[in-house]
Amino acid sequence: MKVSLFVTCLVDQLWTSIGVSSVEVLRRIGCEVEFDRRQTCCAQPAYNTGYLREARQVAQRFISIFEESNAGAIVSPSGSCTAMVRHYPQLFAGDPEWLPRARAVAAKTHELSSFLVHVLEIEDVGASWQGRLTWHDACHGLRDLNLKTEPRTLIRNVRGAEFVELDHADACCGFGGTFSVKYPEISVAILDQKIDAIERAGVDAIVSGDASCLMQIGGRLSRKGSKVQTMHLAELLSHRQ
Amino acid sequence: MNHLSSETFRENAKAALADAQLRGALKNATSLFGERRKVAAASLPNWEELRNQARAIKDEVLSHLDKYLEEFVRAAESRGAKIHWARDAAEANAIICRLAAERNARVIVKSKSMTTEETHLNTALQAAGMQVVETDLGEYIIQLADEPPSHIIAPAIHKTRGQVAELFTAELGMPPTDDIAQLTSTARATLRDRFAAADAGISGVNFAIAETGTIVLVENEGNIRLTTSLPRMHIAVMGIEKVIPRFADLDVFLKLLPRSGTGQRLTTYQSFITGTKRHATGEGPEELHILLLDNGRSRMLSHPVTRQSLACIRCGACLNACPVYQQVGGHAYGSVYPGPIGAVITPQLMGIDKASQLPYASSLCGACREVCPVKIDIPRLLLHLRGEISERKGSASERLAFKIWARVMMSPELYRLSSIAGRLLQRVFPISRAWTSGRDLRLIEPKSFHELWSDE
Amino acid sequence: MNNEARQEILGSIRTHLAASAPFDAREDQQTPVIQSQQSPAADPVALFKQNLEAVGGHCLIANGDAEIANALTQIISALQKTKLRAQRIAVSDAPELVRLMHMTDLEIEELGIAPGASDIFRFDAGISTTQAAIAETGTLVLDSVRERHRLVSLVPPVHIAILNASTIYMTLSETLSMLQSAEELSPAVTFITGPSRTADIELTLTIGVHGPQELYVIVNQSQ
Repeated sequence: MKVSLFVTCLVDQLWTSIGVSSVEVLRRIGCEVEFDRRQTCCAQPAYNTGYLREARQVAQRFISIFEESNAGAIVSPSGSCTAMVRHYPQLFAGDPEWLPRARAVAAKTHELSSFLVHVLEIEDVGASWQGRLTWHDACHGLRDLNLKTEPRTLIRNVRGAEFVELDHADACCGFGGTFSVKYPEISVAILDQKIDAIERAGVDAIVSGDASCLMQIGGRLSRKGSKVQTMHLAELLSHRQ
Repeated sequence: MNHLSSETFRENAKAALADAQLRGALKNATSLFGERRKVAAASLPNWEELRNQARAIKDEVLSHLDKYLEEFVRAAESRGAKIHWARDAAEANAIICRLAAERNARVIVKSKSMTTEETHLNTALQAAGMQVVETDLGEYIIQLADEPPSHIIAPAIHKTRGQVAELFTAELGMPPTDDIAQLTSTARATLRDRFAAADAGISGVNFAIAETGTIVLVENEGNIRLTTSLPRMHIAVMGIEKVIPRFADLDVFLKLLPRSGTGQRLTTYQSFITGTKRHATGEGPEELHILLLDNGRSRMLSHPVTRQSLACIRCGACLNACPVYQQVGGHAYGSVYPGPIGAVITPQLMGIDKASQLPYASSLCGACREVCPVKIDIPRLLLHLRGEISERKGSASERLAFKIWARVMMSPELYRLSSIAGRLLQRVFPISRAWTSGRDLRLIEPKSFHELWSDE
Repeated sequence: MNNEARQEILGSIRTHLAASAPFDAREDQQTPVIQSQQSPAADPVALFKQNLEAVGGHCLIANGDAEIANALTQIISALQKTKLRAQRIAVSDAPELVRLMHMTDLEIEELGIAPGASDIFRFDAGISTTQAAIAETGTLVLDSVRERHRLVSLVPPVHIAILNASTIYMTLSETLSMLQSAEELSPAVTFITGPSRTADIELTLTIGVHGPQELYVIVNQSQ
């Protein structure tokens, strides 16, 4: 299948290896990957901060770009960005021109693990990684997209990886977009609950499906001098020994 | 009483985070409540269906609220209840003070009512010379401490037993003890005396049944039964959104409320009160007054997203699930209604100007929506309010920042240039400092994915 | 009562609902499928007993008046050995209860029409009838028309209730239906599930707050 990669602005600017790994995994399992260089952002920052006019402008651009693609699916390594695109119909509710276009693009957009497990029905991507790891359920992926079993299924098939369930894996990491810098003290207090759980789990790596959570968690782990690696699911799945 | 202000939420939160005793109490309470709710919900195989039914019933009522209120009033009046309408807090307090004064009520006992906390009724009654005693143990504790409630269903949950003991020793002359059973029986003995002397009882209302004119009250302690059956006058205060259509609907709500609030199948007592007693003699109040309060609720009907705020059955589950509430507790919100539901109804009831920080005090994680028995989409409500605030009250610099952001995101060229600028400025941006106080900053990549793709 | 406020509030409701109409049309309304409840097949008495005991209540089964009288005597004499004393016993003046009490040797006080606070607060135990019960939750249902004494089951630290087995309903839903099928809902219907409790201090459970600390239910299987 041909897929159009929606890499997300965060990965594009701050964590390119997530994008590179995603492409590698998709190609390895036989997909043709297209990358439309006109893409920028899904508009989540503006939407979440209450700037709807700006959010609609940027969302319209996203829709205009991706609706032109003849790929079978638009795939993204981010639960929160995928959830944002799935909210486009709500953003354009009552708009006779944009609502159908928003619906069409939203229906075609998938988060990576969901795409692998549900669309391609692949649970083993031939990855291997030695060590003990655990998973953090990113909020939007979990609650907006119902991603729970998909990443765990994929991880369990990574050869050599010992998976342990994190205490309160579904508790928020405290990022929340601009919340992390508008209320940094609360953001870090929430984060420390996650960090404590990670330390108790005694793992070599913490894996998640959203770069934003990984930046939040990784930023605190490194501030505390922890040896625990932060890894995106795509990076884990592209790993081979 | 020294209420914190909603407008200083961030400062309030910082102070709360520094209070180790508070954080311990919060951790204990919210995790216990959360666990119990989870077990109770899991014990009902049709839990999801019940939530859907409850929400459908609430949607039906709220979209015809005037009709159902009128039906309730007719039914209640036909059974002897007297109905009073209050447009705002001041009017509600004035009506209740007048009722009490007309009957020479000196001692008034109260059971827990968030609505009367909202109107600051006790202050008004005390100013009018009446003695008001809270009889719910948690409310009694905070009344003695002169503090606002910190949780919708467990008002004194921020206090340790040691703090309660100190309070009782100071205010009631109780010999020092840490034993919770002792503390409870001290409160019970003191309050029995007030019950015996009470001229009037004031309660809230959990549900008001339009079909029969019945008010329903739910509790564990027995103080509501005492408050509503011993004194000769009973005043029940309710927000206009408390009405539900049919008596049979209680099956749904009585399954959801106790489980969501405390993890119980049923609380110890439910009182179903319909009008006044039949005979002049016999037990029970001679007069029942029901006060219907608006105080900003009718405004919330004007949009489907805000209307769902009124579906709330005041179970408190969202507070226990909220990562922000779990860390800072209820007082930081500066409102009688804290936590996720508080963050959305406080700005709507009090006005955006009085509570403009609250809708931003959330990571939008959605845990609240997941546990809400009536499926209120609180994150969506928060976004709606953020939209309103940025429209009416937003900071000029933030508005400008997002205008620029949109321009950049609309143009691949500007986007590319901004990333170059970002690489240069990232360490000095104010945003970077708010981040780096607790976390290391991840730097912008020397080559973006766009550029790597082009290289390929 | 206060018509101006009433008109204004109702008017405000109507105005704001009307303003919402254009937005309502855009929302995805989902009509939930409502399934009818099915009563679980079980013995109501056994289920009631199990659920009452799960919340700390005591349940005794008796067949006929003589056995009930016996049970009452046993409960009271056991209590008299504890600090709950059970010396001063108040009894609701419901005729069936009075008749039962006369079959025991217990010294009781029959309540008059409307005991005031000072009257009712001095008792150690209160005995009442029950109009119905809910098996699935272990709940007693008291209705102020037939059990007109509301305080006897609330104020004394011990409450003893006599319940006829035939009035035990399986579910909450059936019970609500039954209550509504009466000609008129009585002014005060009370559900009681176990002894009174609180967890307001550190979420630690304490039994016996404002309501009774001990609840005994004697189920009469012959009725």
